[in-house]
Amino acid sequence: MSIHPQLLHLIIALIAVMAWVGLNALVLVYFERKGAGFIQRRPGPFEVGPQGIIQPLVDGIKLMCKQLVMPTGADPVLFWTAPLLSMTPVLLLFLVLPYGPWLTGMQIDLGILLILAFAGINVLALLIAGWSSNNKYGLLGAARAVAQSVAYEIPLLLAVLAVAFTTGTLDFVKITEGQGPWPWQWNMVYQPLAFIIFIISAVGECNRAPFDLPEAESELTAGFHTEFSSMGFGLFFMAEYSYMVVVASVASTLFLGGYQGPFGSDGWWWYLPKVYAILMFMIWIRWTYPRVTFVQLLNINWKWLLPLGTVNLLATAFFMKLF
Amino acid sequence: MVFSWLHLAIVLFLLGGLLFGVGPLLLAVLLGPQAKGGDLGMPFECGMRPHGSSWVKWGISYYCYALIFLAFDVDVLYLFPVATAYGSTEGWLPFVKVFIFLFVLGISIVYFWAKGVFSWPRRIKL
Repeated sequence: MSIHPQLLHLIIALIAVMAWVGLNALVLVYFERKGAGFIQRRPGPFEVGPQGIIQPLVDGIKLMCKQLVMPTGADPVLFWTAPLLSMTPVLLLFLVLPYGPWLTGMQIDLGILLILAFAGINVLALLIAGWSSNNKYGLLGAARAVAQSVAYEIPLLLAVLAVAFTTGTLDFVKITEGQGPWPWQWNMVYQPLAFIIFIISAVGECNRAPFDLPEAESELTAGFHTEFSSMGFGLFFMAEYSYMVVVASVASTLFLGGYQGPFGSDGWWWYLPKVYAILMFMIWIRWTYPRVTFVQLLNINWKWLLPLGTVNLLATAFFMKLF
Repeated sequence: MVFSWLHLAIVLFLLGGLLFGVGPLLLAVLLGPQAKGGDLGMPFECGMRPHGSSWVKWGISYYCYALIFLAFDVDVLYLFPVATAYGSTEGWLPFVKVFIFLFVLGISIVYFWAKGVFSWPRRIKL
């Protein structure tokens, strides 16, 4: 009995994505801490391994060796559902991302829609986490997470729609191929406003500083994951970093030409630097800007990003008819 | 309903994601200590004993934004099919239609803005 080649392809993709998500969590934690150290003029992790390179792995093992504590008043079913619900859709998001000409889990017509649909589940996970832990900080964090994610999803959609209008497809591979290898052929040049809106609302969607109000340490101890210890916290953490990678990958596919390279040198070696450039940018602004207040956060979205996104979409539709 | 490769892929990847979450949790159960008693089960509210449960009625003044969100999110979803077809249309009529659609959406923002929703009052009078 032989395995169907399509099934084999899917299983290989699944294993590759699992390895990629796990590896990325480690690499990004290291980059984040080293970046923070660099910006704050201190060495960052230094002791474990050369330049502290094994530190994230050791931290992960340490997290696994801690007790999973649940508060006595919490709702046990929802409490344990939340971290799993946060982690479960993550792998699926990588299914449609084209990392290279042959390095795509599956090419489908509705790639963008699939990512947007399943990335939305994370909001539910954060809400359940904050509510079920029967902690006032958790509850406040959950309410903030919902208000914020709900708000920043719309400019994100509008920015994506502007690109979808110009390319006329929702398929990531076709969008990549619609752009050229050189920077002046990228969608970023034709849609600069959409790119800026996308990056800002992506930072908001990922709950990253300066928009990390749901887990604002100075106000809410840890927000929605206050009560989560050990791997319960680890899963939220890993999911958050994976969502960052997904967002950066989507941005580099939609706006930065994806895997295309000059002189026919297409491949993941062009894709990964773009993804990591965006991730480094997110790390950079996290350690540069102070946290905004919640009213500011919502006002930026409703008063600036949303009208700008709508106008941008209208202008896109107008200029498409003009030329 | 036809069960296609995409459905299989979604189910497979969701199961993989579930395993990816359950695995570390089980490891933590196996490897971690099992301490009990004392104040271990007390919710962490900066060390003080919590005053009552957190499952109380409290005013979320965000429901208005939830309404705008629903309006926008559902309506923007209608634009995805439009986006795929818009490039191949002829004449200015499609643009006028898109314009009317987005204009009506934009009015909702203007309406809420004029009602003072974005100055974040405690109670919103609509």
